[in-house]
Amino acid sequence: MHIEENPNDIRAADLIVGIPSYNEAKLISYPTQMASEGLIKYFGNKNSVIINCDNNSPDGTRDAFMNTPTEVPKIYLSTPPGVKGKGNNVRNLFKKSCDLGAQAVVVVDADLKSITPRWIKNLAEPLFEDFGFVAPLYIRHKYDGTITNNIAYPMTRSIYGRRVRQPIGGDFGFSGELAEIYLKQGDWTPAVVEFGIDIWMTTTAMCHDIPICQSYMGRPKIHKPKDPGESLGPMFLQVVGTIFDIMTKKVAFWKEVRWSKPTAIFGFGLGEMEMPPPVDINLERLYDKFQAGFASHDALWKGILSTNVYKKLSEVKTLGFADFEFPTNLWAEILIDFAVAYKNGAHGREGIMESLIPLYYGRTCSFVIELEPMTIQQAEEVIEDQCIVFERSKPYLLRKWFDTE
Amino acid sequence: MKKILIVDDEDVIRMLYGEELEDEGYNVTTTGTGHGLIGLVESEKPDLIILDIKMAEHNGLDLLQDIRKEFYNIPVILCSAYSSYKGDLKSIAADYYVVKSADLSELKQKIKMALEGHIPFQSTRE
Repeated sequence: MHIEENPNDIRAADLIVGIPSYNEAKLISYPTQMASEGLIKYFGNKNSVIINCDNNSPDGTRDAFMNTPTEVPKIYLSTPPGVKGKGNNVRNLFKKSCDLGAQAVVVVDADLKSITPRWIKNLAEPLFEDFGFVAPLYIRHKYDGTITNNIAYPMTRSIYGRRVRQPIGGDFGFSGELAEIYLKQGDWTPAVVEFGIDIWMTTTAMCHDIPICQSYMGRPKIHKPKDPGESLGPMFLQVVGTIFDIMTKKVAFWKEVRWSKPTAIFGFGLGEMEMPPPVDINLERLYDKFQAGFASHDALWKGILSTNVYKKLSEVKTLGFADFEFPTNLWAEILIDFAVAYKNGAHGREGIMESLIPLYYGRTCSFVIELEPMTIQQAEEVIEDQCIVFERSKPYLLRKWFDTE
Repeated sequence: MKKILIVDDEDVIRMLYGEELEDEGYNVTTTGTGHGLIGLVESEKPDLIILDIKMAEHNGLDLLQDIRKEFYNIPVILCSAYSSYKGDLKSIAADYYVVKSADLSELKQKIKMALEGHIPFQSTRE
């Protein structure tokens, strides 16, 4: 069930730009304008529409969107009052794109400040060239996207074997065919209907033999970056919980995967590289929250982690802030132990997920300390090395998952 | 026997890498130029390509784009004396990036990983 306003009575579209939102009245006009300009400039021969898929925002997002002057017609879709979640919005978009018979759908975040018309071109064009899923490639500050860098990217890469650098980037392109596949999936968990939707879309595409490409956006993603120690929020639990859920469901696929492969790349030749704005992180707070985790979760960690991993973690606990280091291989093994515990469910999934947060703070603290003197390029090399460590941990995952240790 | 194509404009590198990789049991073909590379790949059908970046007449990153357009699934290892090209986003279309060294252990390791790499049902359309 949803609310719909379709003032131009649009009944068919080749190409859709969807903008999911909740309380984005202040920011949604800009991506809406850029989407319209991109659709007119690069896809003038296609029937296009811009759809705001909203959660019935009380701040006037609907008015801000519908009152934005655009050459391309617009549709406003909303979940019913009281129903929230980005995933619910995107599911409404899947349904609408199937109803309209769209060949290609692009999704962009409502809080984007750096989107240009070319983003629409680069996310949509590969979809008319046989690709089914397009993920964005953009330069991000080395401290931005810590869930991506420390969990979502290395885990999806090592588990499913595809190197999608921004698997929860929030900006995607997908084909009409893939929208139908998405709609047919039966795993719309409470996490997927919220912020788990991005990683769910990426991994579902990986597991369904969908041709994937990554497209260079040309400008950094500028939105509302947050200090992970200050405002982790439910997003962490929803994203990581969805990764663990999908691992349980797609084991027949990923157990056969060895190492990883690059994807096709699209959209080079966009001129000078623009640097992203800085992101501030309070390292002491991350360290303190990691240490505080032992008081609350030590017994549970002892039950979840294998003996050797727990021993290594206990060693990390003894390190002071000045020489703090949380090794990558330990982090990879911790995530594996948590994924297995989540699958087995012996300790209660909610408790397992909550107890992972202080460990994530510890790993993030160490990661930021390591990256401090580095350029963005050097930081990317660290992330690449980290991915190799995760890929090398795959035999450990298989042994633990199938309980052959 | 797995076939490896080495694309490098330095004779010494082609000879050194060729001998070492043949000792490892690979069937090695080499070329000193990017001219006609796509045709060579078509005729030789290598299982893996080792590609230099900074060559006198060609940029390996552009050659990589050409290879990817025609042969998406052939593993490509970029092998350069310079690490700075890692910062070029074009390099992520390669399977691996190795900085040239007299010690070939990293290159051999990456060759093994690239050849072992496996994804079930990977789309032939890519």
